[in-house]
Amino acid sequence: MIPGPRFSESQDKIVSVRDLKYTYDGGVQALAGISLDIRQGEYVAIVGGNGSGKTTLAKNIIGLLRPTSGTISIHGKRVVDQKVATIAHLVGYAFQNPDHQLFCSTVMEEVAFGPRNLGYSQDELERRANHALEAMDLLEVRDRPPFSLTLSRRRRVSIASVIAMDPQVLILDEPTTGLDMRESDDLMASIAKLNIEGRTIVLITHDMKLVAKYARRVVVMSEGKIVLDADPAGVFSDLDALLRSKLVPPPVVRLAYRLSSFGVPRDVLSPEELVLRIMMARGEGR
Amino acid sequence: MTGFVDLYTEADTFLHRMDPRVKIFAVLMLTLLALIISDLLYLLVLLVFIALLIALGRAPLSKVGLALRFVVRVMVMIVILWPIFDPSGSPVLFTIGPIKITEPGVWRGITNAVRICCLATVWYVLMFTTTQRDLVRALVKMGVRFDLGLTLSIALRFLPTFGATVESIKDAQRARGMEFDKGSPIRRSKNYIAVLIPTIVSALRTADTLSLALQSRAYGARRDRTYLRELRMRSSDGIALSVVVAAFVLPAVAKYLLGVPI
Repeated sequence: MIPGPRFSESQDKIVSVRDLKYTYDGGVQALAGISLDIRQGEYVAIVGGNGSGKTTLAKNIIGLLRPTSGTISIHGKRVVDQKVATIAHLVGYAFQNPDHQLFCSTVMEEVAFGPRNLGYSQDELERRANHALEAMDLLEVRDRPPFSLTLSRRRRVSIASVIAMDPQVLILDEPTTGLDMRESDDLMASIAKLNIEGRTIVLITHDMKLVAKYARRVVVMSEGKIVLDADPAGVFSDLDALLRSKLVPPPVVRLAYRLSSFGVPRDVLSPEELVLRIMMARGEGR
Repeated sequence: MTGFVDLYTEADTFLHRMDPRVKIFAVLMLTLLALIISDLLYLLVLLVFIALLIALGRAPLSKVGLALRFVVRVMVMIVILWPIFDPSGSPVLFTIGPIKITEPGVWRGITNAVRICCLATVWYVLMFTTTQRDLVRALVKMGVRFDLGLTLSIALRFLPTFGATVESIKDAQRARGMEFDKGSPIRRSKNYIAVLIPTIVSALRTADTLSLALQSRAYGARRDRTYLRELRMRSSDGIALSVVVAAFVLPAVAKYLLGVPI
């Protein structure tokens, strides 16, 4: 686990979701009563099988979808009363497919598009864009056309274009899909850095290895409901609930499970931790 | 916007079972009929007949409503605009400045609105009861080149996908603070570049992948094609065919050879 500040219950609530229900036009109920608070500085992973409502929840939070019932507020102000552009100041959402937003002729312009929409001056625009490019390690390709970049870099551009608006909360929708392990590790390290700098991260994923490694809070969704909301170790210890939500804990956690009859504790999140715990168990045994 | 809606609804009615070639021909006949009839009463009879066909085709009311929404808008426009631009005849109902409205003008407006309604709804009968696949199959059987038919069916097949992509792209740009309905008309149309470019790129990527997928399944390896389901005319198709031919020929003969005012 990446060391980072831990936050107590008293911390500022940024996003507050109450009894949110959402039904699509075709009659499919995607969210069946969600209540959730997201606090300043948190690193929350929202996990669940395909169709469990993760993306629908995110789109409701940023106002792209209007709740069928229930309320969402950001800093106490109701989302339905605000324009999506206003919310974009506070909550950024990087879509799953970066190609659905790239259209400029250089990476720099692409990243400056968001802050330009929000009406910043040219100087401020460049400052913000450069900051975002630096955070996503893109400075060397700033003058290249975004479409010529690899998927990994296109994804970074799309995230940078959201960071450039300087939102307090950054929602990332499956940012590692289609990336190899190295690319995915590098991207997650950049995101972890953003979190350490104080930005709230909401990671939508079904990669449980990422969850074990980076998230400090895990929200498990299934059929439009939240079935678990705890820290990673707590969530992984409820194997039945995970399996019912079409999820499997990461291999190292499953190994710790198998070893639990040998005295290894179950709340292990990384291989390093597991090795340490085994050593300790052996030490005690002697 | 909900994107493109496929009007076809699965059901087992005589219209669904009918050979699509016969259906296309029948719809063409009824279209011509709507064009030659100029008497409001007979146009209304035709409209009732078409409504009956839609009912027999068991099209769900929601889809009928969706289809009619567009037609009704056009009809209202015709009823309002026709008398203004065609003020011949008398009596004059009223005049507003340079605009003169006459009673025959109003009736002609209504007649043409009903005619447009017939012309549109008769094609809905076809769309409600025929799968896109059957339509293309019929066109190919009627002599359209197979690759053109395939292109058409792929285009139709991808319309909903495409609509979903456009929606997703619009959402992505709105999440970046873009407001589509803000600013001058020029500003607004410029905004759409942010949607247009990703849409085109995504369409080209899809087309590229699709053509590779077609080639990898040996598309075009043989010139002569065989079909899993051959279209065959049945006796009921023959009956339907003679009914529509009669429905067109009898009024046409009455009107143009016998001079009956219909």
